[in-house]
Amino acid sequence: METIGFLLDGIFTSLQWFNLALLIFGCLIGLFVGAMPGLGSVNGVAILIPITFIIPPTAAIIFLAAVYYGAMYGGAISSVMLGIPGASTAVATVFDGRPLAVKGEAMTALTAAAVGSFVGGTVSVILFTLFAPPLAEVALRFNAPETFALMVMAFATFVGLGGDDVPKTIFSILIGLALSTIGLDLITGKPRLIFFNIPGFLHGINFLVLAIGIYGIGEMLWTLEETKGKVQMSKLSVNMKEVGRAFGALKKTIMAMNIGSFLGFFVGILPAAGATPASLMSYGITKQLSKNSKEFGSGVPAGVVAPECANNSASTGSMLPMLTLGIPGSPTTAILLGGMILWGLTPGPLLFTQEPEFVWGLIGSLYIANFFTLVLNIALIPAFLMVLRIPFAILAPVIFVLCVTGGYAPTQSLHDVWLMLLFGFAGYILRKLDYPVAPAVLSIVLGPLAEKALRQSLILSDGSMGIFFDISEKPIAAVIMYIAIVLLIMPAFGPLYRRFFKKKQTA
Amino acid sequence: MSITNKITVKRAEIAVAVILALCSIALMIKSAENRITWNAEENMGAGFLPFYLSLGMLICTILTIIKFVLKRSPQSKDDTPFIDAVAFKFIAVTIISLVVLVLAIGYLGIYFSLIFFLAFYLRYFSEKSVAFITIFAITTPILTFLFFEWMLKIPLPQGISEPLFYPVYDFMYGGFSFAVKMIFIILTVVLPTALVFLTTRFIK
Repeated sequence: METIGFLLDGIFTSLQWFNLALLIFGCLIGLFVGAMPGLGSVNGVAILIPITFIIPPTAAIIFLAAVYYGAMYGGAISSVMLGIPGASTAVATVFDGRPLAVKGEAMTALTAAAVGSFVGGTVSVILFTLFAPPLAEVALRFNAPETFALMVMAFATFVGLGGDDVPKTIFSILIGLALSTIGLDLITGKPRLIFFNIPGFLHGINFLVLAIGIYGIGEMLWTLEETKGKVQMSKLSVNMKEVGRAFGALKKTIMAMNIGSFLGFFVGILPAAGATPASLMSYGITKQLSKNSKEFGSGVPAGVVAPECANNSASTGSMLPMLTLGIPGSPTTAILLGGMILWGLTPGPLLFTQEPEFVWGLIGSLYIANFFTLVLNIALIPAFLMVLRIPFAILAPVIFVLCVTGGYAPTQSLHDVWLMLLFGFAGYILRKLDYPVAPAVLSIVLGPLAEKALRQSLILSDGSMGIFFDISEKPIAAVIMYIAIVLLIMPAFGPLYRRFFKKKQTA
Repeated sequence: MSITNKITVKRAEIAVAVILALCSIALMIKSAENRITWNAEENMGAGFLPFYLSLGMLICTILTIIKFVLKRSPQSKDDTPFIDAVAFKFIAVTIISLVVLVLAIGYLGIYFSLIFFLAFYLRYFSEKSVAFITIFAITTPILTFLFFEWMLKIPLPQGISEPLFYPVYDFMYGGFSFAVKMIFIILTVVLPTALVFLTTRFIK
């Protein structure tokens, strides 16, 4: 009952005119960012975070959450219309969305995507509201050892479940952590890793510099290479009459909606996962369980609904650990978490008691944003088609301008802009060689928090690492640590398992 | 054989792994400027974490190199070009123009540098007309100025062009009436935006 009261307060907070205006503006930007090939929620949020410094944190998080949310809807637009995923989260939407568009049923695909997103969003927000307060209550009992163990688990999930090359994933995590140690050591006060005695390093490396570098500059370079500066949209007629027909076709997609919403939410909670694997998994499972699984890939609405439901649901799910535990569930929430620190908040369960307006304003805004994005999405489809016609050669320099100004604004030093360019270029090269970049962004955000938690724990235990593994003393921390260790060694057993399995088959 | 064909994925993979290994070693040496020891009596030295993190990085790059030598990674068997010639031109020009942009920002200030950057970039990569590019290259810095300096009150670097902005600041923070400021905004924001919008529709 208490939750409903808080939720209503939150909804009212997000309906205040200033917050509501930012929410609608955020949804629009999100839809736009999602629809543009090469830009997704993480790029939008990374590039836009510097401009939220002058507004109150509640308004800022409502705005950025709306961008995040809108991008999940918007990704489908270019997946369907161009056959190029608007964001990695909409990759699975191409599988059936594109064939539908080629068949001349683009409107069916777009409506299915929008409604799927709405259902996924709504289910996940309700789950979020139910799970968040009890989880925060449990997390309130966490001390430094538990917090550190949780962070180790967050890194371990990348290794265990990320599916990328293991040494490269661990390298990415470690370089993020190493970059986060640059600057003054908080405990001894000594300067660390001040390269060439450049004073700019004394204030450390702001996570935004890395995030904008990788997700702004690096992503643009990546997209420039893919598209060679040109994106061609095939001509497709947009017929509003089809919207009605599309709604009719959605009756058959109820199973896809269920799978997408629930699977998406729980996959989203996992730190390494986020919306991209959620949407791919949801597509795969829906296809396997469907009676007409053979038709998947040739253009069935359920094949659009499943991933779209899942990516919206996962984006909400990934905010659950961010708010309750202070551990982001996706790259975008890692950047939001960094933003919360910049706005002067301490992410974690205390937010629920100390900043209820912030937490519930965000949760409330998700309900409202979900509704507005659905309406805006369907109403503005013609406008987004116009946007998709903007040549990339014009969009790219505008994004560069936003990156340069966004990289400069937080600390007002050109030093950071140079670093951002360097990270952008390095990120682009590394990404081409299959080094995952998301773990580095997550670990530069979590690095300072993890170091503080580690050193506090070691002070508690008089310098013994045993504090993390002693079941009788710190049961929660120990269990989380053991899970993390299992996740870390899991990839090592993959090849063994496959070898064993193969032998059995041939025998 | 052009240079882009010579740089295969295979070569790039091993080159990057070696560079990263060298960077990790450099980080370790740099970390060792502080105390890197840690035991129960003393607190953790300031260099302890960076040192062992970079040691970990070094081990990971060595593993990548071993996988490469044993041909266990997909990149170690990939003889296709790391980047094709057309894309290379795009990337190289983009990176060089960005570096020049940031160099220019330190000297000329951001607003004038942006004009040159946008004009060059659009002229080089897009097929837009000179009229369009001119309007676009001038409007974008104006909008940037109004957004950062007026709305957000964040000053962006102005380099040697700073004196040119004094009259604008006097106007912004001077005692002009609301109506005068609104007219100014319409002239500097609404009109250029409308112009850009119209030119995108009608000027190629």
